Amino acid sequence: MFELLGAGIVNILQLKYLAPLFIGTLIGVVGGALPGITITMTVIVVLPFTFGLEPLQGLAAMIGVYVGGETGGLITSCLLGIPGKPSAVATTFDGYPMAKNGEPGRALWLGIWASIFGGLLGAVFLVATTGPLATVALAFGPWEYFSLFVLALSMVAGLVESSLAKGLVSGAIGCVVTVLGNDPVLGQERLTLGIPFLAGGIPFLPVLIGVFAFAQIMSEVERMGGTAKAIEAVDRGVSLAVSHLKVMGEILSRPFLLLWSTFIGLVIGVLPAIGGSAANMLAYDQAKKFSSRPEKFGSGIPEGIIASESSNNANVAGSLVTIMAFGIPGDAVTAVMLGALTIHGIQSGPLFILQNATLAYGMFAAYILAHGLVLLVLLPGVRWMLRIVTIPKAALFPVVVVLCVIGAYALNNTMDNVYVLLVFGLFGYGMVKFGFPLAPFILGVILGDQIEINLVRAIMTDSNPWLFITRPISGGLLAASVISVVAALWQHRRAQRRATGAAQDDADF
Amino acid sequence: MKLSRDGWGGLVALIGSLLLFWGTLGLKDNPLVPIGPGFYPRIVLGITAVLSLWLVLADALAEKQPARSEPLNYPLVALTFAVFGLYVVALPYLGFRIATGLYVAATSALLAPPSGAKSWAGVVLLAVLTAFATHLVFERYLLVLLPRGTWTGF
Repeated sequence: MFELLGAGIVNILQLKYLAPLFIGTLIGVVGGALPGITITMTVIVVLPFTFGLEPLQGLAAMIGVYVGGETGGLITSCLLGIPGKPSAVATTFDGYPMAKNGEPGRALWLGIWASIFGGLLGAVFLVATTGPLATVALAFGPWEYFSLFVLALSMVAGLVESSLAKGLVSGAIGCVVTVLGNDPVLGQERLTLGIPFLAGGIPFLPVLIGVFAFAQIMSEVERMGGTAKAIEAVDRGVSLAVSHLKVMGEILSRPFLLLWSTFIGLVIGVLPAIGGSAANMLAYDQAKKFSSRPEKFGSGIPEGIIASESSNNANVAGSLVTIMAFGIPGDAVTAVMLGALTIHGIQSGPLFILQNATLAYGMFAAYILAHGLVLLVLLPGVRWMLRIVTIPKAALFPVVVVLCVIGAYALNNTMDNVYVLLVFGLFGYGMVKFGFPLAPFILGVILGDQIEINLVRAIMTDSNPWLFITRPISGGLLAASVISVVAALWQHRRAQRRATGAAQDDADF
Repeated sequence: MKLSRDGWGGLVALIGSLLLFWGTLGLKDNPLVPIGPGFYPRIVLGITAVLSLWLVLADALAEKQPARSEPLNYPLVALTFAVFGLYVVALPYLGFRIATGLYVAATSALLAPPSGAKSWAGVVLLAVLTAFATHLVFERYLLVLLPRGTWTGF
């Protein structure tokens, strides 16, 4: 394993891989720092550039974006009080007050170094567990895969904040998208609605690009031209200089906080399609609960920054484990990576690491090296990031849309995918307006085909449906699905009761 | 019984899933395999219909909280979508460079209306740069083919 990792690092250090990794990291830091531009959108923008590259070059660029974006998001969180991305929201709670208290450099670099430590600890988990987990997954038959994918969907649907029913409907609609067009087992046409293009099914990448890019862009557009608050001018004269050794010492003197937050980030990352925002908030909440001075949280203490930033970078490693060992995207960014792998004809899943060891260890190496490149970008450039956030969205959004169009068109050089992009752009915005979460929908679109293929394979192998329950792993996974839905139902009911109780208390006074 | 957006969303999903479910009834089974092409879609659409019905009923029976409304610029969203729709329609006729230039200029001007000659120049510059820089990078260096226009020939 270490030999392969060493070879991977040597491989990535070649200019042809290091250059896309560096450019990806730079773009990720910038995209992460721009409020209103998420890492998902940044990686979507980068996607078409990877079509003409070797698989490892493209994936290195995307990993760079992912790692850079997670770190870049904290810049505006700390210095402007505006999270650059959803997974930096909790960083704002203590980062911004610390900056306002006259220590902007300390706030910023605590976040950057915590990101790096969290990310590198995550790398240990990534390298150590992906192979063994893939070996476990190799023992799976179609029954286990079917149950695993059902578990993934039910967990995502259950973990959405708004409503369990909406999460489940959203995931089910995602699966419906995959039944339009053709039967993946026999190739027979079905539900084409008279549209010839649908005979081949709907490719998931234009769906993903359309849903995520337009849901986000239009959510920003609807706030434009009104009373939306402009980004306040930043005092660019303020000193961001710190003693890096002192900052690192501050983080390393809290080993339990660092390890626990990293662990939370990893677990959330491994769970499918949840993402860094949950990791960031949960780690912050846990840090507060375990702290001897919880009342100080929110006033600008280092624990808040360390917890939130180490967890969201570790979350990247967790997401990569899930996609590389099981072929299930850990979040939207890894879903785009899955698309990039598919374009290059590479099948993700348990065989990935065995059949593509050079690529897999190259990805590990890219992930590790990206943390060093983040430092290389931010040490001289952190002040520039404050200028970049003033780029007008009226200029940024049309360029992003053009890159989305290129990404969709270039998949197979047909306008059909651009039409899919348009339709699902409208659909995604509609989902947001109706309050449906996007993550279960996308996971449904990605896993729908696989669920069907494994269900049909299982039934064709043995028509006894009880095997889904009596086979120990499959039964365990299905039981976990039921538990996750029941737990989510209980949690939502409890939250509703609390909200009702709070409303009644308010009314009493 | 008044529905909120959850209920309406559920209702749309319910109607859509039932219509598609009805569409699966016409699918013919393959005699060579035990399950036909309609087997899985019927399961998925059936589950979607049941979940949507749950959403509608839960919303209908729930106590409604007064919705907090934030003033949002929906006309701008509609126009932005409309301009994008025109771009998608124009791409195969005008080709990537011209359609993209027009799209970027139109959207940029729509989102932040230029107020003087300088800002108009900025819009035009952004449009020209985006169209030609993306074309150059993708076609020349990344060997990604972009749409050609049937009217323009490039």
